[in-house]
Amino acid sequence: MELFYRYQDLAPQLVPLDYTSCPDVKVPYELIGTMPELKDNPFRLRIAQVFSEDGDGHMTLNNFLDMFSVMSEMAPRDLKAYYAFKIYDFNNDDYICMWDLEQTVTKLTRGELSAEEVSLVCEKVLDEADGDHDGRLSLEDFQNMILRAPDFLSTFHIRI
Amino acid sequence: MLSDDQVNEIIINVENVPPGVQNHRSSNLSVPAKSGVNSSFGMVSSVSGIDVKDPHVYSRRNDRKAKQLLRFSPLNESFSQTHHSPDLVDMDTPCTSHESIQGRQKLIASLIPMASRDRIKAIRNQPRTMEEKRKLRRMVDREKSKQSRRIFELNCCTQCLNSISLAYRRCKNILSELLNSISLWQKTLKIIGGKFGTSVLSYFNFLRWLLKFNIFSFIVTFSFITIPQFTVGGNNALQFTGLEFFTGAGYFTDTVMYYGFYTNSTIRHQSGGASYDMQLAYIFTVAACLVICFFSLLFSMARYFRNNFINPHIYSRGIAKLIFCWDFTITHEKAVKLKQKNLSTEIRENLSEILQENIKLTLSQQLTHLSVHLVAWVVSTGVAIACCVAVYYLAENNLEFLKSHQNPGAVLLLPFVVSCINLAVPRFYSMFGLVEHFEVPRQEVYVLLIRNIFLKISIIGILCYYWLHNVALAGEECWETLIGQEIYRLLLMDFVFSLADSFLGEFLRRIIGMQFITSLGLQEFDIARNVLELIYAQTLVWIGTFFCPLLPFIQMITLFIMFYVKNISLMMNFQPPSKAWRASQMMTFFIFLLFFPSFTGVLCTLAITIWRLKPSADCGPFRGLPFFIHSIYSWIDTLSKSPSYLWVVWIYRNLIGSVHFFFILTLIVLIITYLYWQITEGRKIMIRLLHEQIINEGKDKMFLIEKLTKLQDTERRANPSSLTLERTDVEEPAPLHSREHEAAHDLRFRRSVQENSPKA
Repeated sequence: MELFYRYQDLAPQLVPLDYTSCPDVKVPYELIGTMPELKDNPFRLRIAQVFSEDGDGHMTLNNFLDMFSVMSEMAPRDLKAYYAFKIYDFNNDDYICMWDLEQTVTKLTRGELSAEEVSLVCEKVLDEADGDHDGRLSLEDFQNMILRAPDFLSTFHIRI
Repeated sequence: MLSDDQVNEIIINVENVPPGVQNHRSSNLSVPAKSGVNSSFGMVSSVSGIDVKDPHVYSRRNDRKAKQLLRFSPLNESFSQTHHSPDLVDMDTPCTSHESIQGRQKLIASLIPMASRDRIKAIRNQPRTMEEKRKLRRMVDREKSKQSRRIFELNCCTQCLNSISLAYRRCKNILSELLNSISLWQKTLKIIGGKFGTSVLSYFNFLRWLLKFNIFSFIVTFSFITIPQFTVGGNNALQFTGLEFFTGAGYFTDTVMYYGFYTNSTIRHQSGGASYDMQLAYIFTVAACLVICFFSLLFSMARYFRNNFINPHIYSRGIAKLIFCWDFTITHEKAVKLKQKNLSTEIRENLSEILQENIKLTLSQQLTHLSVHLVAWVVSTGVAIACCVAVYYLAENNLEFLKSHQNPGAVLLLPFVVSCINLAVPRFYSMFGLVEHFEVPRQEVYVLLIRNIFLKISIIGILCYYWLHNVALAGEECWETLIGQEIYRLLLMDFVFSLADSFLGEFLRRIIGMQFITSLGLQEFDIARNVLELIYAQTLVWIGTFFCPLLPFIQMITLFIMFYVKNISLMMNFQPPSKAWRASQMMTFFIFLLFFPSFTGVLCTLAITIWRLKPSADCGPFRGLPFFIHSIYSWIDTLSKSPSYLWVVWIYRNLIGSVHFFFILTLIVLIITYLYWQITEGRKIMIRLLHEQIINEGKDKMFLIEKLTKLQDTERRANPSSLTLERTDVEEPAPLHSREHEAAHDLRFRRSVQENSPKA
């Protein structure tokens, strides 16, 4: 229930304390993005979009619970890999293509790398991870690569 | 930290609300005035579980959905009360309604025969939102109750069992919530993780884990050995001076702290009351502590190995890992910016390494590198051996030195020298890194670790040899207490040096880095060195518990203080690490180190003590016996005289004491190991073949898609006037991909459920 109180704290005037009548309440993205766990994360917009109902970043209580349940320590690896894949898939076409990779790298390095370095990095990533050589990463490629990175479970984790 | 169990609890609690009230009104984009219908296609759309939020395609797909509604009305009957908005409306199921219905029914069918715990696990692992999972569970429960209505007779037992298991699960949840709330240092660890990342956090987690070991050992030894000893107190005639805290001698010699104070009698309070044999209690308590530590280490090691196996074949350059394993636990703005900068630097380094990879080294360069490595190894081993020899000679001559110098503080010389060696030599080893060149940067860390652990273990080894060989046989009275005091002094000196290092050394380094030589900047937390120090201290504690039963208590206090000191020093004097540190692989390696040289060495030392050494004649619980182990022999002898305990004697004589039993056991274990090894080899071959198959299928897919587009081109050229054909043609290739991989997704999720069920 601690999560519910955190959710309520974000927008006390919107979220009623009594959820038995199941109101249709959505906390807008701007408030979610101010949470201390998320406010400096470069992917906070994508995280909110992936877990929200309509992909616009505004989350209901269920979406909120979903998000923290997947990002908790106990979530199984496959579930985390699936949602990580969706977070990195910026254009929502179920593949991480070159453009998605470029967006990811830009967000990660915040303009420190030049454009050609970024494209070189994306090429190398595709070289390493693309198993079926179709020029983009499918969910299986991503999961395969995550298998070789045992740190993933501990880094893809938001403490609350 | 919210566990999934707790989240499930929340689900359970919310579900207990009357179901008709639980509704999520649909979002503003949903089809208006079709709330009843919304529920059905919400259900249908929950099957493939892929949400593609593509707003401009929404309207088109919605039309198709409206046409399919009528097909789903028979399903509506079973979902009377639940209304559900398409919060994850699947945008890419326009034409796969039949398959999605079938897919969902197959999913439900596969879930029904599972046990309820496995079912809950399988549903939880599905990548759907909570609403959908709740729905799925309700559907499965309904189907199951329909089926089980026919099996009425079993209801009684299964209901009982179900309620028992539910109560048990609730208890477990409450207990885990309680443990989480009183979990030590939760907030501090969160702050450390937020600022410095997962790697530095792993050091503090390791410290906390070792603290748990020590707390447990302390509780066991205190309750079973020390408290009974308090009831049979002796007198302490010595004076108390403040120096005892450092030397451990003097006043403390005659307290419960050391072996020598413990009585060898059988404590009896009332005549004819229960008796408490101190000898047996001592040896069994120490043995129980060690056995539980052994199993706990073994299980942790196995768990880490299973999750994070260090597989040298799968080493890749790791750029993909750098990109996709962003540390989401970092929450401070400055830390995030710093991490981004470090990531860019690391990516650049990685790129330049890749570009240089193709440059092959000439033979002469390879030979130079090899000879440099060889020289470095020879020098490091030589230094370690030289230190060991120095320590041994110092220890030997220490006795005469002590007799000639009456100063009680002179006993601190040996621990001082050992701590200096532990301080200086690892830093000397780090300097080799300037000369040696490693192709793989990870090798450098491992090599440094191996050298350091070799140094530390050999110093402990040589000290143990000295104690067991010289001190024990020298004829001193109460040699066990002497050894206990030595270990206490070593530990304490190590603690003092760590404190001094944190307060003075790191502080000075920060001042130098910030004020004088600003190019150096702040230092980075050297995780390997700090963890090795923890392992070294823990080894000493394990050895010393037999000779000084209060040692776990002292180590507990030490670790507690170290946590806060390191935390403060970290916040003030350090910057976050610049290179990616494979925390989980390193933790596996550290726990392995804790188990293999450290714990097994402790077991060997104690085994030699108990089986080979003669206890001192007039102090301690084993006084007068020829060997320590004779206490057990005499116990077995007394037991064999009483008829009710003959089974214990039988077990001892035929299982523990017999050679044949161990021979057969070893043979069985070797056979099982060999079989598992062969199975692993077979699986590796399987993985390689499957990988090749994936590549081939990818190529097939590309080939077929090219062929299809060529055919469509030729068709279009053949009929240039029919525009409708064009439009459907244009629509075709786009959903082709999506349809293909929806079916693939369906298959995958169905497959994953089926995989989970035999696994579970």
